[in-house]
Amino acid sequence: HSGVVKRRSKSQSYRRSIRTCFGVASGLGLTPALTARRMNTSRKAPRSQNITEKVKPEHLELLVKTEWQLSYVTPLYQFRHTQLKSYSRQLSAFIAAEKQEGLAVEVGGLQNTFKVSFSVLQGLAETSDDPETVLIQVQSKPMFARQEDPPKTVWCGWLSCINGNPEYLQSLPKDFTCLPLFCSKGAEDLSSLVKSWLQRTFDCCFGPLDINQTTLQWLAALWTNCHMETNIQNLKMIWTLPVLPPLQVTYTVDSDDVLDLWRSTRESSAEKSREAEDEVCIDFSEVTRFMQGLMSHFYRHFRVDLSAGELNQVSSALGSAKVNGKIKISSSRYLISIFSLLTECALLKMPI
Amino acid sequence: MDNSAKHLLQRLVRRIPVSMLKSTLDKWERLTAEKRKSLDFTQSKWIITQELVALCEKSELTVKHITELEMIYLTAFCLFVCFLFPDDAHSVELMQFKELFKSHLRELQRNVSVKIKKHTDQAVWIRVAWGDGLSSPNHLKATYVVLYLQTPYVFVNALSSKHKPLLLQALTLSTRHQQIKAANLSGQKLTALRDLLMRQYQQVSQPPLMRHRMARETFGDGMLPALQSAVFKLETKFKGPTNEAMTQRDEPFICSVKFSSSNLLESLRHCASSGIASTPVTPMLSSIPLKGRNYFVITDNVLTA
Repeated sequence: HSGVVKRRSKSQSYRRSIRTCFGVASGLGLTPALTARRMNTSRKAPRSQNITEKVKPEHLELLVKTEWQLSYVTPLYQFRHTQLKSYSRQLSAFIAAEKQEGLAVEVGGLQNTFKVSFSVLQGLAETSDDPETVLIQVQSKPMFARQEDPPKTVWCGWLSCINGNPEYLQSLPKDFTCLPLFCSKGAEDLSSLVKSWLQRTFDCCFGPLDINQTTLQWLAALWTNCHMETNIQNLKMIWTLPVLPPLQVTYTVDSDDVLDLWRSTRESSAEKSREAEDEVCIDFSEVTRFMQGLMSHFYRHFRVDLSAGELNQVSSALGSAKVNGKIKISSSRYLISIFSLLTECALLKMPI
Repeated sequence: MDNSAKHLLQRLVRRIPVSMLKSTLDKWERLTAEKRKSLDFTQSKWIITQELVALCEKSELTVKHITELEMIYLTAFCLFVCFLFPDDAHSVELMQFKELFKSHLRELQRNVSVKIKKHTDQAVWIRVAWGDGLSSPNHLKATYVVLYLQTPYVFVNALSSKHKPLLLQALTLSTRHQQIKAANLSGQKLTALRDLLMRQYQQVSQPPLMRHRMARETFGDGMLPALQSAVFKLETKFKGPTNEAMTQRDEPFICSVKFSSSNLLESLRHCASSGIASTPVTPMLSSIPLKGRNYFVITDNVLTA
């Protein structure tokens, strides 16, 4: 499969503000949107990027093939990339103090010491407005361990901003650093402690970054599109239907066939737009038509309406995404693209 | 054509930019192609308006038709569909719905102007102009809703994120449903979306009592054996109503579907009785209890329509 690659000016995607169909949460949570900004209704197709030159191999190894729990965090006040050693010491002390207070720390029991290290994860910041990604690792060593026993990394997290909206980033007051996407893995109580310390030290706020229906649909389409360059093996989608007991539907489509479907939904719209494009740009209406096609084929066989349920998970050989905010990237080649999408989701959660 | 219709048409045409007028009139389809061809769009707007009014008068169009035109123009950018759930909720009759909707909406937002009208094709058209505590309703940016009271489908356009939860809540409560979900369907032409859904809906809309009965007949009554999953390997040609390129394809669309649950048969029975699965239940699903199997390979020869 050779993809046709065309470029469209980036500003196009920010200018169009057509409303998209957001999945309306059941129960009509009436919490108003914190921000009037909307998710881009049009985006560039992810292109395979070789980032092995930009990012250290040990960092790449850390990032891929791991399931991360996503949160968003508001801009950090007076955060300095030059103070990381000091932050490491402070957070280590904080965790030790909390343990002394009797706060049960799940990992290893009371006799462990925890050592925190903050470091810069270079190579992910894409634009000049993106701050450098910050990596936080918590290592644990049993108190009576031998010298040569290596400490074990028991918790890992990173704060990043990849292709963040430049308008928003430039509008922030000088002392704020925006790293809205927080990815973590490890014991939940350590996550709480790290977040707690970050909140009090940098006057910021964390919240869960759920991956909503719109984003999951984007990922289904974008990953399918990637099959033109990289074998995705198949596209797997998991729905749950609201019956008793709940019914889970796992719908897996062969990669070549799903790509054909995707291409057919794109062709009908490409005919209409005669604009010169030199980078493949995808509009959400194409994503919707694609999903409709998949659900129609399903309906014709089972006469079950998948749209009565909720899409919970989308996965392919390139990664997996779950509605409860868990993401796994299996290929470093698309890491930047996917995390750009997630950065956008995180920025949408920012209060003005 | 009475004065109010003329007036409405004139006001409407004034708002539609000439660049969009031709395509909007084409989509409207209330004027024959011949009549539309006779319009010269290179003339001044004023002249075009006069000519258009004359054509509409000749065709004896009414206010209802003009509001359709308005809807088409406004929905040129975004018309999305919502699905009220569960669809076996007791349907509400029109007068009741009108009162409930207006009162619910006014409870949620002061200074809204609501106009509800029933059209001959069973559609209920609602126009909401939003104001707030401080300002009067803005009629230039009204939201349009079309619903069909006997179905769970709602068509909405021009709705800001601020007003969305209010409108959707008012709709849900006044139609006596429990929730409303976006139906992953959007488009430019109301009639096309409506036809697509009604065609689908007609297939599922057996009355609740009948659905319950068929569900029980297919899967059984009372406690069902706790089967946990069923797998279907599909090797059939792609089936989708609007995708010509794919339906013309010779090769099968290879996919697999797995249904899983703590009690699959109970889940499927509930799907049937609630309308999520249309009844009569497709042989694909009824084969599970009837043949006592939970692994199937389906090819075009095996599939019974």
